[in-house]
Amino acid sequence: MGNVPRVSETAISVSGLRKSYGEHEAVRGVDFEVAAGEVFGFLGPNGAGKTTTIEILEGYRERSGGEVSVFGVDPGKPTRAWRNRVGLVLQECELDPLWTVREAISLFACFYEKPRPVEETIELVGLGDKRDARVGTLSGGQKRRADVAIGIVGDPDLIFLDEPTTGFDPTARRDAWNMIEGLKALGKTVFLTTHYMDEAQHLADRVAILRDGKIVAQGRTEELGESLGRRTVIGFALNGGLGVEDVRTRVSAPLTIAGNAVEIETDQPQQDLYRLLGLAEERGAALDDLEVRRPNLEDIFLELTREEPK
Amino acid sequence: MSDRVIVLTQARLAIKVALRTPRTIIFTVAFPLVFLVLFNSIFVNGGDNSTTLPNDIKISAQAYFTAGIIAYAVALSTFTTLAVSLTTQRENGQLKRYRGTPMPPWTFIAAQMARATVQALFMTALLLAVGAIAYGVPIPSSTFPAFVLYVVLGTATLCSLGIALSAFTPNADAASTIAPFTVVMLAFFSGIWIPVDQLPQWLETVGKIFPLYHLALGLQTTLSPNATGSGLDAENVLILAIWAIAGARIASRRFRWEPQTARA
Repeated sequence: MGNVPRVSETAISVSGLRKSYGEHEAVRGVDFEVAAGEVFGFLGPNGAGKTTTIEILEGYRERSGGEVSVFGVDPGKPTRAWRNRVGLVLQECELDPLWTVREAISLFACFYEKPRPVEETIELVGLGDKRDARVGTLSGGQKRRADVAIGIVGDPDLIFLDEPTTGFDPTARRDAWNMIEGLKALGKTVFLTTHYMDEAQHLADRVAILRDGKIVAQGRTEELGESLGRRTVIGFALNGGLGVEDVRTRVSAPLTIAGNAVEIETDQPQQDLYRLLGLAEERGAALDDLEVRRPNLEDIFLELTREEPK
Repeated sequence: MSDRVIVLTQARLAIKVALRTPRTIIFTVAFPLVFLVLFNSIFVNGGDNSTTLPNDIKISAQAYFTAGIIAYAVALSTFTTLAVSLTTQRENGQLKRYRGTPMPPWTFIAAQMARATVQALFMTALLLAVGAIAYGVPIPSSTFPAFVLYVVLGTATLCSLGIALSAFTPNADAASTIAPFTVVMLAFFSGIWIPVDQLPQWLETVGKIFPLYHLALGLQTTLSPNATGSGLDAENVLILAIWAIAGARIASRRFRWEPQTARA
């Protein structure tokens, strides 16, 4: 659909971004870059400054300091050509309840230079059987799909998705994920905020975690844990055939024991797993509830954003 | 797409939404029609029921009330509906959402005014037709162009004031109380419910400051076969134009796209 950005293009570049509301500094020096064609997860607890940052990138809010560029344009001075390249899915539904789904999407389509076909967009978000229903009669999840539809109907190169799957059931969430993956496959850049860490883990190429107006971690999603020194955990239950001491002497990492549940936090998961399975084989013992957990985004997120007791 | 398509698409959708809102139909279409019937049934009795306009032109009671209620309907179709719908759309975040698209802001305002204008012209035609057919209200050909001009100028003025008012009403409830109340009050001051020659002098003096008085007077004059010349009056035109410009200036300075009330 034309206008596919070059692979090397930087979609978003932010450096030293600050925003104060009176005395309160909501964003306190944020730096990150998003490459064109990337899905970027922007995470953080409520009140961390996520919405303020996104609204600055979307051209809704003025910044107090720092440099921001979205496709080479300062979003503080949005132009019509720039707006044609940027699609928004805001946090709340603001479509007139008296519009039908098709009317809403046709309306937003007409604002853009080269919109996607309306019917195709309706199908893409899965509202095919609701196209003539009034927006006011849609369920929360269906309204959210309509929001997504008006965000992508202009066929933008960059899409801001602010908590796009809030209120979705698991099937709808899967559908939404497929759609976002479809956008990525078309070469679109996606700036995603979400409270669901599995969603970020599944969709985002890279993530940044914001806390108290500052980025506390950023990197490739699958490497974020390792780069922060988090280890893989091997867990299992002892059932009599094996003793704790047997295990302790065999593996490289320390054990954590709770009842008969044992966890090994290791830098060398492959080696330790091999040794553990060898030991069980030798003794003819079974390892109940065996699992291997890579450091997951949710654990990292909770650890980095936990409120310290004052 | 082209700006023309953007305006037309928005205007069409705004008309559809208005037709789907029972409140619009009841308050801005049915009410004036009911008033027209009531006033012509209650206050018009046999014999000489003519009244004299402030410009000394004699007019039948039927034409007097019909013209006044047309002015009232124009005000509801433009001033009231714009103040309410713009406030509603701002507070539920629709306007903010529009600002995040390439839509030129003027196309939105133009489309909203187009919706109001269509409604005002429809109401004028409807009330005039009922007046002429049921109550024998004359439509003098010499002053009819001026009648149309007053409708158009009044529509523009009251659109601009409705948009200006929406900048000051914090939410839809406030707008849908303040706007209709203002119109009903000004209708008293403008001799729409009670003929001007029966009003206390001070009431008429106050009424003369406001545009509705001059719209009503202009329409009444041009529906009277006794009017001379084109029926246009410089004072009416001038005061309507001053209000139109004042409204536009306030609107362009104070109009906001973001909700004014913080939402949870």
